[in-house]
Amino acid sequence: MTRFHTAWRESLAIILCSLVLGFSHTFVQGKGIFAQPAPQRISLGTSSAAPSIIDIQEALNLFQSEEAVFVDARHEYDFKLGHIRGAINLPLAEFETKADVVSSLPKNKTLITYCDGAECNSSIELATKLIESGFSSVKVFYSGWNEWQNQRLPVAVTQ
Amino acid sequence: MAESKASGGGDAIMLKRFLSNEFNVLTARLFLGSLLLVASIDKIADPAAFARSIEEYRLLAGPVVMVFATVIPWVELLCGLSMVFGAVIPGSALLMGSLLGVFTLAVLSALLRGLDIGCGCFSQDPAAARIGWLKVGENIVLMLISAFLYFAPSIRFSLEHYLMHRHKNP
Repeated sequence: MTRFHTAWRESLAIILCSLVLGFSHTFVQGKGIFAQPAPQRISLGTSSAAPSIIDIQEALNLFQSEEAVFVDARHEYDFKLGHIRGAINLPLAEFETKADVVSSLPKNKTLITYCDGAECNSSIELATKLIESGFSSVKVFYSGWNEWQNQRLPVAVTQ
Repeated sequence: MAESKASGGGDAIMLKRFLSNEFNVLTARLFLGSLLLVASIDKIADPAAFARSIEEYRLLAGPVVMVFATVIPWVELLCGLSMVFGAVIPGSALLMGSLLGVFTLAVLSALLRGLDIGCGCFSQDPAAARIGWLKVGENIVLMLISAFLYFAPSIRFSLEHYLMHRHKNP
């Protein structure tokens, strides 16, 4: 048997063992693929500081009345490809490093965070962080960018 | 002509000697093995964070990401153990070389798309090492070490060597 055939069989054995160990470990620990869905995804708690979820109609009303600033929690790459017109990009992963963006957000207006949509959680996490940073009026546009795009509402692209 | 042939033969002998030097093989095994063990720990402890790191590359989505995040850390752990203890080395080297090739392509693709994201290689903290050309270089060096271990015939200082001798001289 050639070296390659032996190595190929050994590789397959390692992959099989990894599959078994990986899935058993995550199952026993209740992590990763077997993790319980995060409860805060829909329920944001009862604290007065918790951000409230708004639907597309309310988001559009606030957009048209210019009473709110939209904060895009997605990555800069996605933001550049397209975002709600007038939105400010503040990726959740860069919240700590982008203190200048946080401090530039208006405290006298409502902030509306959004990400891609129901499949992402970063809009909620970003809203919580903004409240912790002292912003009193923060809402989450939960159906996010996907819904905004589907409704063909005003968007902007950064070159 | 004869001189160049002789020089070519000399290079081949040098390469063969380098490949068969048991201390070179041991050093490469311990280096790559310990690196893989360190890389796997954070990912095994928090597969969801590793899944987020994979998602950042925007190449895979949904359940595929979770399957990768569940299995890859264990591949790294098993390959790391195999290298450190010296068992099924060609298989581990082939697997790691192939995986590193895939990781390098992912990093290259992200760099070409202008993504500024965390590597997700050793730590899942988004503020930790970002991807860059240095990461591509590092991966290429690790692929060369994997290739070296794949072709190296020496199994001295390994579990396989110990078991073979024990079997021959019980």
